[in-house]
Amino acid sequence: MMKTEKRRYSPLNRDYIGYWMIAPFYLFLIVFVIFPILINIFFSFTNFNLRTVHFVGFQNYLRLFSDETFMVSMQNTFVYTFFTLVFTMALGLMAALMVNKKLIGLKFFRTSFYMPYITSMVAGAMIWLWMYDPSYGIFNQVLGFFGIQSRQWLYDANLAMGCIILMSIWKSLGYFMVIYLAGLQSIPAYLYEAATVDGASSFRQFCAITLPMLRPVTFFLFVTGIVNNFKVFEQVMILTNGGPMNATTTIVHQIYNRGFIEFQMGYAAALSIILLLIVSGITLFNFKYGNQGQDLDIG
Amino acid sequence: MENRQTRYWISMIMLFLSLLMLVPFFLMLLTSFKTMGEVQSASFIFIPEHFQFSNYVDAMTRGDWVRYFYNSLVVTAITVGVSLIINSMAGYAFARLHFPGRDTLFIISLIAMMVPPQVTMIPLFIILKNFPLVGGNDLFGQGGMGWVNSYMGMILPYIAGAFGVFLFRQFFMNFPGSLDDAVAIDGLNKFQSFLKIYVPLGKPIFAVLAAFKATQTWNEYTWPLIITNNDTMKTVQLALTMFKDESTVIWTQLMAATTLTSLPLILVFLFAQRYFVEGIVTTGMKG
Repeated sequence: MMKTEKRRYSPLNRDYIGYWMIAPFYLFLIVFVIFPILINIFFSFTNFNLRTVHFVGFQNYLRLFSDETFMVSMQNTFVYTFFTLVFTMALGLMAALMVNKKLIGLKFFRTSFYMPYITSMVAGAMIWLWMYDPSYGIFNQVLGFFGIQSRQWLYDANLAMGCIILMSIWKSLGYFMVIYLAGLQSIPAYLYEAATVDGASSFRQFCAITLPMLRPVTFFLFVTGIVNNFKVFEQVMILTNGGPMNATTTIVHQIYNRGFIEFQMGYAAALSIILLLIVSGITLFNFKYGNQGQDLDIG
Repeated sequence: MENRQTRYWISMIMLFLSLLMLVPFFLMLLTSFKTMGEVQSASFIFIPEHFQFSNYVDAMTRGDWVRYFYNSLVVTAITVGVSLIINSMAGYAFARLHFPGRDTLFIISLIAMMVPPQVTMIPLFIILKNFPLVGGNDLFGQGGMGWVNSYMGMILPYIAGAFGVFLFRQFFMNFPGSLDDAVAIDGLNKFQSFLKIYVPLGKPIFAVLAAFKATQTWNEYTWPLIITNNDTMKTVQLALTMFKDESTVIWTQLMAATTLTSLPLILVFLFAQRYFVEGIVTTGMKG
């Protein structure tokens, strides 16, 4: 994980100026990241509501188990993460495999796939809000063209989460494609040449060389993908604000609502600690099993 | 497999898929030039009859858009500038200098990087609101609004990211130790060596981090939503959501505003694509 220098340095050769050079960065880190995390852990054991702070022990943590809305939001977040991740990974790999053949227009393909990733979540959500519009949006217009009855999309509790997932896939597909493409290009060509000489079919080559060689990349995308998708908030906020009937509320949406709408800061802090525990668990899993991804070198 | 015909078909499929990915952008542009009548007509008019630039004018006069763009620009520029300086120094120190506790300090910053921003959201708001001696606060952070509704309130948390440090460290570690020896023989101290040797060498990484930070900051929505509560401090992303919050959404104007807020980044991206893509690939593989 960490490469330490082989050369030994005597105390005379210590670069104490290093402390000064990391000082500004560390000051920011302590004041705006580390310190807030500690405060948040403290808040989660209080009933802080912007005015009073009383210690309440584990009350917040006990409360969230009987908090139906939060339980629904956990479930929604899991559903969202599962479907978004499965599709972005599968489609991203497919797109990367196609582009990896020396095609004309490669740059154009990569740019168009990557463009949604660059666009802000707000802008992207606005466009999709328009596409999902029940009266004049393109989805219902297209359905109408084929004589199919129009849908309520974001206002339909059964469809709303699917709509958010579809938008998110569109948004992050390009990122997955680019990472997979870099992974594909780092596979040494002689492996394929040797396989061709041995008479292995393309499909066989894909199963025996491409997939195993891509395993670290896949693992990396899978872990970071889970972590990132668990933090889903902006799309939900703009497209549905958690509705209809909490069908699309997510963990972070609940943290935001409890903390900044209802001002139950203590309870919101406890919810965010739950999120932290989930994400840390996944990250630890990555460090334990994902070290194969560390030594891949792609410049 | 590698024959010309397969390649031709794959190109065709990819072209179709690429256009599919771009459909939302086409829709955004076309809608922004339509009249409301064309938007509401029963048949889906794909190309507007007359290109209406009036939507852009109307959208920009609903609220002080000059101010919103200025806010976003100031916040983004300062964040990028300060991040580049602070992160390159720290990245260099972690990569090339030897001081007790170096690796421990680096690992702590890596762990801090993995914490979801939502975990620090509430305390950050409290800290910035009660910051001593700013925004009408006394020495104990009481009595005023602190850094709520200020550029500082938006910028400070953005600068605290460790991602850039990680990026610079990765890059600076690639040079041989003999480089440092040569620089030392020339009589430069470690800080001079950073300024005169490593900063020029690190130019591409400066560009990569600038691209990354600019995208992140320009596009940020959640934090400005929390730390600002008045119209004058709105960023473009917040201002965009104004159109949506009305009883009847005027789609033509909303799409015009969406186009304008996305345009700066998309243009920069098209010209400096290399740096955008390189950043995610480097970190993606070594994260």
